[in-house]
Amino acid sequence: MFEVIMYDGGVYRSAELFELIEDVGGAVLQKIRSSQMLTVTMSIPTEDKEAVVALCREIGGEVKEVPLAGTEIAVVGPTLGRHHMPPPICDRAEALRRKGALSIVMGLARGRGKGTSQISGSEVAIINEYDAAIFCFGNFKSCIEAKAELMKDIKIPLILVCGPRPEGLEDYCEGIVPGVGRKSERMRSPDERNKLDEIVSMTEMVLKDKRKRMSEDPLFVHPSEVKQVLENYHPIDMCLRPSPIVLHLDGLRAKIPYDENIQAIKDIMIYDRKLGDIAKITESKLDRSSMLIKIKTGSEVEYDDARKAAGKT
Amino acid sequence: MDITVHGTDPFGNEAYRVLFENIMNDLGEALAIEKAELVLRPEAPLFIFSVRLRAEPVSKTIADVSSLREEGSGVHITITDERYAPDILGAMWSMYGRNSVDQQTRFDMSVADADLEVVSKTVIASGEEALKEIIGSVWRSMPEGIKVRHVFISGTVVTVVATEEIMRPEFMKEGARVHVEMGGSADV
Repeated sequence: MFEVIMYDGGVYRSAELFELIEDVGGAVLQKIRSSQMLTVTMSIPTEDKEAVVALCREIGGEVKEVPLAGTEIAVVGPTLGRHHMPPPICDRAEALRRKGALSIVMGLARGRGKGTSQISGSEVAIINEYDAAIFCFGNFKSCIEAKAELMKDIKIPLILVCGPRPEGLEDYCEGIVPGVGRKSERMRSPDERNKLDEIVSMTEMVLKDKRKRMSEDPLFVHPSEVKQVLENYHPIDMCLRPSPIVLHLDGLRAKIPYDENIQAIKDIMIYDRKLGDIAKITESKLDRSSMLIKIKTGSEVEYDDARKAAGKT
Repeated sequence: MDITVHGTDPFGNEAYRVLFENIMNDLGEALAIEKAELVLRPEAPLFIFSVRLRAEPVSKTIADVSSLREEGSGVHITITDERYAPDILGAMWSMYGRNSVDQQTRFDMSVADADLEVVSKTVIASGEEALKEIIGSVWRSMPEGIKVRHVFISGTVVTVVATEEIMRPEFMKEGARVHVEMGGSADV
């Protein structure tokens, strides 16, 4: 059993920490260095957690629990206008980031208005690439209920954050957090911080359910193992974009151009199998310079093997 | 600033009272507004935001916001209202050229070869501009999707009636009623 924790401290003696993570068979999920400060999100075996935590404290760092680590979450607002951000949408994205998720903020092109709000097919496809989505609506019940249409085609777990509690939207989303609508100031008061915690807990719960469903037919290989292999692939190693590889619950996003790298990525060997055989690799709908790697489940790989053995492709 | 909210959604009423107050404070318009009345009917949708200003916005000359004295062949300006400092500096630069303007501090500047009479009567902020800013801040506090707007202005009262698609006659009538209630004239 692996646990995900986050080291937050300085770069001093951090080489010892990386060595220990490697020794215990763990993996670094994310490493962010800013000047002399370092944040490392790592996945380590439960039985070695004590030793890793002790070393983190010895070298002057802090250890934080990050229940959302290894997930990428989209926080979606009606538009990118100043009515909706920075506050409150960015506050929600920040709260998720503090718990280890990689959150992105997204605004719909025509999501504003009660009767005129729309979502396009490409927006739905982009949102569906993430592990979960948080939709942020406003302060009026009738408007929120009218905007249910925006959520109907979303296939990933969805949490609705809005002002008053709407009625009849339970089928459109996995969870509703009422009490926070449109705001013009940062969410700083104790009540507002509690609301952000509520959003994070709801996200945790929803993702826990997804993990549980996935555990019924586990992935052929854990995404962090694929990440470790991909890190040695030259274009990813040389990629200057922040977090060139982002972990998802069922795969990962690699921020390298699809057309130029697809064949090389498909041919990478993991457990004596080509990555192209154990994962579905597609171009990201977000931009042409990243790709999505969805790892197949154990049963899917077995089924493919059986078909191959029977001479069918 | 006294804010009254009439609406059909209790959560939205309270949220918009706070939102309106915060936005007006952020944009520096709160001091100019004496009273505000917000009518929120999201089910229509109809939004009427009416504000009564403390004073009618008028044009400001340099003499209104600074003290002036002759200094040799030029004029020395001491700015008394900071928010007009960039406008005064900009006006002096365009009228007399950068070389003639010597800005000693943020609030003091000497303009060489300038005429006191001309400088004092130079308009640096029109009343129309101040009004535009107030209307802009009211629009900003309204929901984003409510794009079809009509503005009533008479004296110190500014009323914005807004809806999403079609501005119906009854919406305009309701807006005019609120406008009159706030002290505006009926013939707008």
